[in-house]
Amino acid sequence: MSDAAAGSVAGSVVTRSPLARSLDLLQQYGVLVAFVGLFAFNAIWQGDAFLKPENLRNLLNQNAAVGIVAVGMTLVIVAGGIDLSVGAVMALAAAVGMLAMNGLAGMVDAEGAGQFVPLLAGFASAIGVGLACGALNGGLVTLGRIPAFIATLAGLIGFRSITLALAEGGEIRADQAITAVQAIGRDGLAIPGVVNAYDKPVVFYWTILLFLVVVVLGQLTLSRTRLGRHLVAVGSNELAARYSGVPVARVKLWSYTIVGFCAALGGIASTVRMNSVSSSQLGLYAELDAIAAVVIGGTSMTGGRGRVWGTLLGVLILVMITNMLSLWQVEVYWQGFVKGVIIVLAVLIQRGRAS
Amino acid sequence: MTMLRSLAAAGALLSLSLLAACGSGGTEPAPSATASTVAAAPKIKIGVSVPAADHGWTAGVVWWAKEAMALNPDVEWLFQTAETPDKQIQDIENMMTQGVDGLVVLATESAPLTPIAKQAHENGILIVNVDRGFLEPVADIFLEGDNASFGRKSAEFIVDRLDGKGKVVILEGIPCTVNTARVDAAMEVFNANPGIEIVGRDTGMWNRQKSLDVMQNILVQAPEIDAVWASDDDMALGAEQAIVEAGRQDEMWILGGAGMKDIVKRVMDKDPMYPADITYPPSMIATGIQMAVSVLEDGNREEIMKFMPQHLLIDVELILPENAKRHYFPDSVF
Repeated sequence: MSDAAAGSVAGSVVTRSPLARSLDLLQQYGVLVAFVGLFAFNAIWQGDAFLKPENLRNLLNQNAAVGIVAVGMTLVIVAGGIDLSVGAVMALAAAVGMLAMNGLAGMVDAEGAGQFVPLLAGFASAIGVGLACGALNGGLVTLGRIPAFIATLAGLIGFRSITLALAEGGEIRADQAITAVQAIGRDGLAIPGVVNAYDKPVVFYWTILLFLVVVVLGQLTLSRTRLGRHLVAVGSNELAARYSGVPVARVKLWSYTIVGFCAALGGIASTVRMNSVSSSQLGLYAELDAIAAVVIGGTSMTGGRGRVWGTLLGVLILVMITNMLSLWQVEVYWQGFVKGVIIVLAVLIQRGRAS
Repeated sequence: MTMLRSLAAAGALLSLSLLAACGSGGTEPAPSATASTVAAAPKIKIGVSVPAADHGWTAGVVWWAKEAMALNPDVEWLFQTAETPDKQIQDIENMMTQGVDGLVVLATESAPLTPIAKQAHENGILIVNVDRGFLEPVADIFLEGDNASFGRKSAEFIVDRLDGKGKVVILEGIPCTVNTARVDAAMEVFNANPGIEIVGRDTGMWNRQKSLDVMQNILVQAPEIDAVWASDDDMALGAEQAIVEAGRQDEMWILGGAGMKDIVKRVMDKDPMYPADITYPPSMIATGIQMAVSVLEDGNREEIMKFMPQHLLIDVELILPENAKRHYFPDSVF
């Protein structure tokens, strides 16, 4: 499959007809066109309901957690890998973080002061778990020479199982003393002059800010750093990269560690939104949503080519579809079908050049 | 470089659209404000959010919700079902964006739905919470079925019918407060009657297939069984299949629960397998919807809330052949 793609790329370089060039553009910016088109369609069709700042904010927030994970997933896929365990890592990191937080809840006094330390300890241990899981995946893929699909499939099953065991299959709620979890999930920067239908200020949630920061950092890593160039090199031709002195194993290890880190951040974002950690639900199918966003965003599944901003648009496209169907009161069972069609269409359009 | 440039372009586009949105958002309240000052009564808007119909009882909830909404065509209804708490939070967020006056919520899970319910409460939205409560007192009205009464009445029926002496199997639901309240109350009754012996106890997860599986195991282990306390009609049907497959249908009978129409029909027809059933009416969602309408419809919310009960416990009833007709709704999906 990667051979065929490489062949067609070489072919189009030789014969650069205007048609090939416009197909190139479509492949390059198809996701932008799709995003703008879907946005305009929603804006015209739904009018006020869609364009309300509150709604746009909700759209961003609803998939911030998956979006953060999708950024990490982009880097892994660019390097020619895949990580199926991200959803389970989100849950495990969040569960350990919540347990650590609750364990230190005794430090909080009756007025609710002193929540900072438990909160910090919770977030830090969640991130620690994410990094460790990511490094483990990376180690299995590089040192253990297990195909990424298999190694991270084992992670998907194994990490979820640990999470279920930790929570005895149920949900872990924040200790009643730690009110900050809930507060962080529903707080943020007030957007000046914008009020909701009830004359209350609309806030730009912290989780959205975190998501956007991760997107910018992810894009900068990919396009501006040596690690980014190495990821692309390893993804497009591992052998050539090795011969040109790229530390392939270390680059791969980094990519899995980064996605583990992103999964932990996503787990935290999900925890503060849900005010609890559901061992069976948190991050469920997040790997599929993340991969879908990456694919829609125009990153090649065979590696070597990708962009984080495309993934951002991919996330937003998925969110807009869900929102549209929800506002149209389409039964929830049909939403997956529509998403599936969109994913196939996205891939077909982006492969336009090859056909 | 091109990537950065396009990133910037995408960012610019996003912020432009956000700006445009802010513009339209800012001017939006004006027309609705004038609309409400014009004499024509503004339609009240109520959001109804319930779990997706994944088993019989929740299917009944959806059916009754639709019935109650159809009875109030003057209200603008926003109705959504959700199979996960995450989807339910999104639904409620969308309902708030559309400016609902009231929300009727049967929560998929308590903890995740509490913050959004709190936010709705802070926005001054009337919240009617049905059957599964929030962790904080943010609902204006909370109505739930009386699960302790469910456990007690069902166990008492079994004890009476066995004349205080017999071998009973217990099938439990999904481990949660609802199941615990039912089982604890039932066990209290059984334990108070030394003639009753519990010969099998397992969880059927309120699921027909799972109940079939566990009942098969219990049938192997227990050579003699007089009655099955199945606590749910889906579980009763699963257990019945196991019993019939084992050829032991003449040996025992089943008491389910929740008032599924097929079971109620068989009680009505005096089927020996089902001497009775016990209600846990999914129609309570309709009760909640009707209460929300009556509080909101004439703009007298504050006056009405002075005497509306804040917590309602809905009692359960034994369905016997004599009164089954009153509990039989052939058009219902449940």
